[in-house]
Amino acid sequence: MTNTAIHPGLYDPYNPTPALNGTRCEKCKVNYFPPLGMGCERCGNPDLRSVTLSTNGTVHSAAMVHLHGGKDIDAPFVVVEIALDDGPLIRGLLANNTNDDVIGARVSGQWMKRVDDDGNVSVEPRFITDAESGESL
Amino acid sequence: MNTALKDLRPVYVVGIGLHPYQKPSDTPYTALGVHAIRAAIEDAGISWADVNSAYTGTATTAMGMSRLMYRHLGATGIPMVQVENASASGSTAFRQACIEVASGLTNVSIAVGVDKPLGAKMPQRAAGIRDLGGSRVAPFTHFALLANRYMHDHGATPEQFAAVAVKNSKNGALNPNAQRQKARTMEEVLAPPQISGPLTKLQCCPIGEGAAAAIVVSEDALTQLGLDRSRAVRVLSSASRSETVYEGENFDAALTRETTAQALSETGLKPSDLDLIELHDAFTMEELLYVEAMGLCKEGQAASQLVEGQFDIGGRVAVSSSGGLLSMGHPIGPTGIGQICELTTQLRGEAGKRQHANAKKGLAHMVGVGAVCVVHVLSV
Repeated sequence: MTNTAIHPGLYDPYNPTPALNGTRCEKCKVNYFPPLGMGCERCGNPDLRSVTLSTNGTVHSAAMVHLHGGKDIDAPFVVVEIALDDGPLIRGLLANNTNDDVIGARVSGQWMKRVDDDGNVSVEPRFITDAESGESL
Repeated sequence: MNTALKDLRPVYVVGIGLHPYQKPSDTPYTALGVHAIRAAIEDAGISWADVNSAYTGTATTAMGMSRLMYRHLGATGIPMVQVENASASGSTAFRQACIEVASGLTNVSIAVGVDKPLGAKMPQRAAGIRDLGGSRVAPFTHFALLANRYMHDHGATPEQFAAVAVKNSKNGALNPNAQRQKARTMEEVLAPPQISGPLTKLQCCPIGEGAAAAIVVSEDALTQLGLDRSRAVRVLSSASRSETVYEGENFDAALTRETTAQALSETGLKPSDLDLIELHDAFTMEELLYVEAMGLCKEGQAASQLVEGQFDIGGRVAVSSSGGLLSMGHPIGPTGIGQICELTTQLRGEAGKRQHANAKKGLAHMVGVGAVCVVHVLSV
């Protein structure tokens, strides 16, 4: 049985805990996620290096989505904007689909697994608050 | 060194025309566009043969669409080009027409916005950019995130966001070209369906179809064509910027602040000098965000000032007298030129029941995904 990343290239699905594949400009000392591959947005430096970013951060904003046209996920779900401790402001989903009153909360990524009818496993990091971190996903 | 519009030849809007914004239908884009163009030509009192160039703002219809539309006016051989700049496509087409006349390349140019929602793709997908949100973060969720953060920072309420839609629906009910022509109560705006965060359906703009046209001319053309100067509206400034790095500040607000400041500085006007503002209120929270970013009031004060009626027709400054994107609609390509049509109508004093008294200065603002921002200031 293999693990497949729902978002290929953004993380290693075999890591025991989620970490994000970013890039870093050493001139600006800035990390990017999603990874900027071809040059730094601030200075144009083309020499970016790959870095691994922690999923730990603080929720900047959150919104419960009630209407979603795609088939990849059923609404409602909660989109969060997270200021990562490693720098970037990213967007992801909360593991908990019932509460978007989490601005300011500390969060970290946990694997969420989907198993299809053939037993194939696909994974993505979803975020949980520190208060929920003892719970299993 | 950059040159401002004010340093070039004066540019005037002399003709405007609209095809009403509406739900997607079987009407071909050519029929939508020709309707608006003929209305603008009639309004200006010129003939199609007087038009030297055409810029068409469009984002969702098809490539190479201009000539199939303009040929119905007579194939005069003028240069024509499509302008795609996301939601700011029409605004950018108008800017290009103004620049062409101001530079002296031509004396009469037409900017037309026309669109049908046939197949737009978000640019991140085409660029191969992936993130953890992906397609789960639709534009309404982008603004729902901003809305919830705004409520967190400023203590605003869902009712204060909804008040934007109540106000703009009242204006849209007076606009025969609006897609939504029904005045809504607070209860109706807050009623389900809930879309994302605090945003309900009536707090999200309708995406439909339509067309808008604006004819701009030089001083020479005013004289040579014998046009009615009393109905000519001067384009004082045109500013266009793209997103840069804002170090944590919301980019929609920061880009609006920069672009509006540039447009106003070129005119010598202050935000408080404006009588009219047409802005990119695709979602209710945007009106509050942008009014503050433009400097109409301090951060966190827009919600209370809106509820006080300061942004009503007849208030301190009429914001979205057309009904805005929320009620007039947002057919994408036409939207920015539709704003120019509304400002021109108001500045001429021809807006009838939705007339803002003594309107002398107006500002049109559009942002586009990417992100870009285009601002024009018009005056009589």
